[in-house]
Amino acid sequence: MTAPYLKPLPQISEENRPFWDGLSAREFRGPRCRSCGQFGWVPYPACRNCFSTDIEWVPLSGRGVIYSYSIVHRGPAAFAGDVPYVVVMVELDEQPQPMIVLGQLDDCPLDQVRVGLPVSVTFHDIPGEDVTLYRFSPSAPVGSTGGG
Amino acid sequence: MSTTRRAAVVGVYTTEQGKRLGRTKVSLELEAIKGALADAGLAHTDVDGLSPLLAEPWSKTHMYWAEQLGERPITYIGTGQGEGAVAKAAAAISAGTCNVALAWVANAGGGNAPGSKAVPTAAPRLPDFHWEIQGAYMTPLYALWAQRYMHEFGASSEDLAQVAVIHRDHAVLNPDSVMGRKGPVTIEDVVNSRMVADPLHLLDCSIENDGGYALVLAAEDIAKDCRKTPVWVLGGAEATATDVYQTFNNPWFPEEGKSVRRCTDMAFDIAGVSRSEIDVANLYDCFTITMLRNLEEMGFCKIGEGAEYVREGHTRLGGSMPCNTDGGLLSNSHNGNPSGMNVIEVVRQLRGECGERQVADARIGLALGQGGSVHGLASTVVLAHD
Ligand SMILES: [Zn+2]
Repeated sequence: MTAPYLKPLPQISEENRPFWDGLSAREFRGPRCRSCGQFGWVPYPACRNCFSTDIEWVPLSGRGVIYSYSIVHRGPAAFAGDVPYVVVMVELDEQPQPMIVLGQLDDCPLDQVRVGLPVSVTFHDIPGEDVTLYRFSPSAPVGSTGGG
Repeated sequence: MSTTRRAAVVGVYTTEQGKRLGRTKVSLELEAIKGALADAGLAHTDVDGLSPLLAEPWSKTHMYWAEQLGERPITYIGTGQGEGAVAKAAAAISAGTCNVALAWVANAGGGNAPGSKAVPTAAPRLPDFHWEIQGAYMTPLYALWAQRYMHEFGASSEDLAQVAVIHRDHAVLNPDSVMGRKGPVTIEDVVNSRMVADPLHLLDCSIENDGGYALVLAAEDIAKDCRKTPVWVLGGAEATATDVYQTFNNPWFPEEGKSVRRCTDMAFDIAGVSRSEIDVANLYDCFTITMLRNLEEMGFCKIGEGAEYVREGHTRLGGSMPCNTDGGLLSNSHNGNPSGMNVIEVVRQLRGECGERQVADARIGLALGQGGSVHGLASTVVLAHD
């Protein structure tokens, strides 16, 4: 019996269900417009380029590079015990329209977090909840230089 | 109708601003509204336009206050940030759809700071891609923006810190400011203050406090009989471009700008005023990074040159365009929706009511309200006295 998860979780709706189902199937999906081919993150009900509602969820690589980051030293409520933790904006490899995804970064020494670092999505089932969340980790192991 | 009548800010009032005042929101609202009407020399029965700066959906807030003000038809139903609300109320007055409009807000105990919410007993469910799911809140979001800005333009923590230093210096001259009594701070104080979300230190962040304020606008014919010198609304505009806390754009710093650029260009065009004519300005400084970006986005300097512009001393009292002379959100007050505080300080400067922090001969002033990293939501207003 693990402690209950008390951090915010997504409201799953008919519109966003394919994304969260994808995470539980270990697939990071993104919305692509069938009419003009454009990706859009975060998902919107209609394409922000051509306003078509003909949108499909397609599997994405789940890989990208850090566009920006913040090492958070003061967390809200349920995150207070996690500090310091790293919030990242990740620009996914899929182009030409950049998709920048907000998430948390694991497995990286704080002194090695940098803009441009290649990272990949990881999947995390939430115990006792019907939700799988995504996080990011460096695509290749990163060791601390430790000042050496 | 072919004649356009002018509109002026004729009354302003700020309640006490402070960490926890032990007051209710409505008591602060009433004090602010009564105070602003008294400053103007008008009665509550003169009001026929309402712009609550934080409003409940479906005009519930407007109906409540129409009832409170005497169950009379209110013919202008507005809202927005302080600057946008003033600009739109002035437009309504000029169009003849109201004569006297109120804009106001109060905060009692609410806030954005991480300590302001308790740990829940079950995982709360938030709309699908909400940033709080990722452990982000307002400060980390602005930290992400600051980090990318520093990466692209080579800005340093010291570059950001100088904004906090200047605004605190101004707050020290403002006896009503929340932080002025704590005295000045140095760049070292700012960069050595506790890190909240790297690269933003505690003193890079605005404060959060209780307090209320109100503004009254009136048509030209009424304004001329009011107690104080009318401060004319020369022009203003608002813009929203992107839900920036959800959807991050690359490039994040486009040359053409987004909301702040658009509404500022429009405000100057409508006012028929050029940037070099501004004597005093109060710009939305929720974080130090925001002030640098505002100055760039508003066209007072080029993109990436905000820190240099501040270093040259333009924004200091005594500089070419003193900014945030009340101390700003960083050191004066952040009370729920502090955008209208910027308008009030500019009004007081143009009236010559600012004591030790008075900008000599201030005739034309500028206020900016914004949210969403200068892209999401913004409004600008240009004000002047005769
Ligand atoms: Zn499309």
